[in-house]
Amino acid sequence: MQQQSQNTYHDQVVVRLIQFSVFWAVAAMLAGVYLSAELVWPTIDFGQFWLSFGRLRPLHTNGIIFGFGVSALMATAFYSVQRTSHTPLFAPRLAWFCCFAWQLIVLLGGLSLLAGFTTAKEYAELEWPFDIAIAIVWVAFGVVFFGTIANRKIKPIYISNWFYGALIIVIAMLHIVNSMAIPVTIGKSYSLYSGAQDALVQWWYGHNAVGFLLTGGFLGMLYYFLPKHAERPIWSYRLSIVAFWAFVYSYIWAGPHHLHYNSIPEWVQSLGMAMSVILLAPSWATMINGIMTVSTAWEKLRTDPALKFIVLSLAFYGLATFEGPMMSLRSVNVVSHFTDWTIGHVHSGALGWNAMITYGTFYFMVPRLAGRELYSNRLANIHFWLALAGTMLYIMAMWAAGVSQGLLWLSVDQLGELSFGFKDIMASMTPYYLLRLVAGIIFLAGTVLMGYNLFMTLRGQRPVPVQAPAADPAFGVQV
Amino acid sequence: MTQEIQTNIILKSLIAPETAFSDLSQIESGALTVFFRYSLWLIVLPPAFSLIGAANFGWRIGAEEPLMMESQSLLLVSLGYLLILIFGLLSTAFISRWMASTYGASANLGKHIALITMVGEPLAIASIVHLFPDVLVNVLVLIPTMIWSMYLLYKGIPVVLDTPPERGMLMASSLLAWLLVAAVSLLGISMALWTAGVGPLLGV
Repeated sequence: MQQQSQNTYHDQVVVRLIQFSVFWAVAAMLAGVYLSAELVWPTIDFGQFWLSFGRLRPLHTNGIIFGFGVSALMATAFYSVQRTSHTPLFAPRLAWFCCFAWQLIVLLGGLSLLAGFTTAKEYAELEWPFDIAIAIVWVAFGVVFFGTIANRKIKPIYISNWFYGALIIVIAMLHIVNSMAIPVTIGKSYSLYSGAQDALVQWWYGHNAVGFLLTGGFLGMLYYFLPKHAERPIWSYRLSIVAFWAFVYSYIWAGPHHLHYNSIPEWVQSLGMAMSVILLAPSWATMINGIMTVSTAWEKLRTDPALKFIVLSLAFYGLATFEGPMMSLRSVNVVSHFTDWTIGHVHSGALGWNAMITYGTFYFMVPRLAGRELYSNRLANIHFWLALAGTMLYIMAMWAAGVSQGLLWLSVDQLGELSFGFKDIMASMTPYYLLRLVAGIIFLAGTVLMGYNLFMTLRGQRPVPVQAPAADPAFGVQV
Repeated sequence: MTQEIQTNIILKSLIAPETAFSDLSQIESGALTVFFRYSLWLIVLPPAFSLIGAANFGWRIGAEEPLMMESQSLLLVSLGYLLILIFGLLSTAFISRWMASTYGASANLGKHIALITMVGEPLAIASIVHLFPDVLVNVLVLIPTMIWSMYLLYKGIPVVLDTPPERGMLMASSLLAWLLVAAVSLLGISMALWTAGVGPLLGV
């Protein structure tokens, strides 16, 4: 009996992280919807500082990336690393510490942003006390994850763990280096870097946060949950390994494309652009690997509504990873930069790729954890169409707005004078922002439906105890 | 019974797309026949409407004054639009045929060209809105039309290409990925051309 309980996977912490992730998804998307309404009706901040665009916007991005995204990544990493290593979590109490400490950071960090404490670095807005707390929790996350891998009962380390591992190591490196600052008071610090160096370090962090968290981490999710959904191995394991190393090598250089035509050396801009274009290869290798894996499992679509989310997430992953390198080209970037096309690009990734694959994964995990069928397949199907419609409407509205802005900012008359004023251009964007607001409400409605569906599936259930199976002797670790 | 494609399929596919899909599944026409009897008539519409609209009224991008372009630039842009649409249609059809073996679908190139044309047909017809060259009006008309086209893509593939609906769904999603990439490429290529001096006068 003792032996049996020692071999049981720790899934309660996974359930809790999923619940937190869904909570943050709804809360942060609600903030996003409110922000998009503010762009249509600017007076709805009612003169309150905490409701102003400048404070609510980082709450939206931090809530989505760190609340929804990281909670989902921790949940899926803890779930899959146990099953791919045939051993329960290493230091389960530390896993619980990661779970609750992380939520506390997101909650208090979010409140500090509303109160106006910010470093003004995009996606790294939280002030130094939070940065230290994040580093501690992140290292604890790494200890649990790599400790579990060190305890593994089978020799090969499955590909999803390589991606999750890269997520943990690289995000720790980026976060610590970029957050180096001199504290002045409890709520104010100044970056250790100055001027162009600060911008370079910031976008080395910023772009690789996108790369290793929103891409690499979620690819870990894809590589574990897609084959599980499809009930067949990944189409080409070799391709997945090649894609991993190519991805890790090329992503880290791409940051300077955020600083085109800025006061950084031109060769650095060119290098960033070239590496961004090269990045297309490993990105699409993974997309093709995913599409080919699922293409042989089409019968599963009859019974599994969640698989549709993953299929579609691959389509949007393909779009976003093509769009990014294209927008990094200087001749495109000169028009597209500072327009809403960038916002559309981010959301084709965040809604179409990150959210969709997470939704598909949650619909897979929760019934298994609860030991019962999903509460409603019909609601999940409705959610699928809402998510697709919301994403499409969002990115198309932003494409149209972005192209219009790009043209209008740069239009000159025969004398070389700018043809249009900034205020007039922004005022003319209102209809697109209204479309985007509708898109956001549609997407949020789908997320709320999922929350209800998962809540009803989990209600009153405790995670089904799952024992680590015996390792196949051919792959077992020799003790 | 197999049959040749007829130009009247243009009308049928608008009124009764599901019957038109069934008809298409029976055809055995060659790629060129399909292109000249069906696709060509539709594909010239968007550049023609856009040329007439922009030449007479200028594009309203949201600002007060319309953006007028020189006639030579306008002709070049319209020609580029036509070539890109032809490239888009044929490349999508070839990619669709390339995918066919993966998804157990028919490999007749004529069928693929006809299917893609039928999916794009609502957009070609709705491009009449280019005669009123206001970006917002165009967006409001073309986005719902695009969603209808997506519906046709998902509905049409299993019927026309004779594959189970679930495999059709996967194939449609793969093609959607390609179409999204193609759409965004169009934006990128346009911007690169503007930067190079083709199109509107920009201060870059």
